[in-house]
Amino acid sequence: MSEQAKAANITEQAAKGGVLLKLIIFSLSLGIVPISSYFLSEKYVWNGNSNYAAITAVFAANIVLVTYIILSILEDRPPAPAASTDPKKNE
Amino acid sequence: MTDVCPAYAPFFGFAGVASSMIFSTVGAALGTSKAGIGIAGLGTFKPELIMKSLIPVVMSGIIAVYGLVVSVLIAGGLDPSKDYPLFAGFIHLGAGLACGFTGLAAGYAIGYVGDSCVRAYIYESRVFVSMVLILIFAEVLGLYGLIVALIMNTKATEARCP
Repeated sequence: MSEQAKAANITEQAAKGGVLLKLIIFSLSLGIVPISSYFLSEKYVWNGNSNYAAITAVFAANIVLVTYIILSILEDRPPAPAASTDPKKNE
Repeated sequence: MTDVCPAYAPFFGFAGVASSMIFSTVGAALGTSKAGIGIAGLGTFKPELIMKSLIPVVMSGIIAVYGLVVSVLIAGGLDPSKDYPLFAGFIHLGAGLACGFTGLAAGYAIGYVGDSCVRAYIYESRVFVSMVLILIFAEVLGLYGLIVALIMNTKATEARCP
């Protein structure tokens, strides 16, 4: 039980620094990207048409979401070596 | 002021702005809190899955963003120096309510789905794909409300004061 706790601690510390930074970046971008894309696209791209600017903002927010999902799936690959050392420790 | 452009017409417009933000935020809060309970349960067993389990929380945030975008959109059409017909006031109120209540429904669904699926993800990793699919279906409920709000808002500039 203590070996599993140690393995969990190692993976946790390895992941903690990178995970927190990623989460901070995504939280900020989820707040900043849609509103900034709304106002910037309304002014420079759509010549004052606010409905198209709203659609652009919704697109931008969904792009942030899809990026987060892809990043979380890609993050799953590295912890495989940590899992393979567990049977050796249990012996 | 006439019957078509009364002085109290902006009340409905601003009520639309407020209701869009208020109700979609209530939905996002419900989703975040309910999913957060499940994530706290998962975090004690498998902390390496935390990035994946935060997907319901990010989707709840998107619901709040929908409400914010509709609020900004409606507020951009309100101008004290121009005429504001009661027709436009009702349109803005309807648009705000449409986005707000659909956001409430979507956030509620995201919360319950996120909680249960994140807890199930501890035991079976293939639940992840179905969790993302169900969450996407729950989120498009909020998107439908936003689309209806946008369609309604395009008609708000057509009425004129006599």
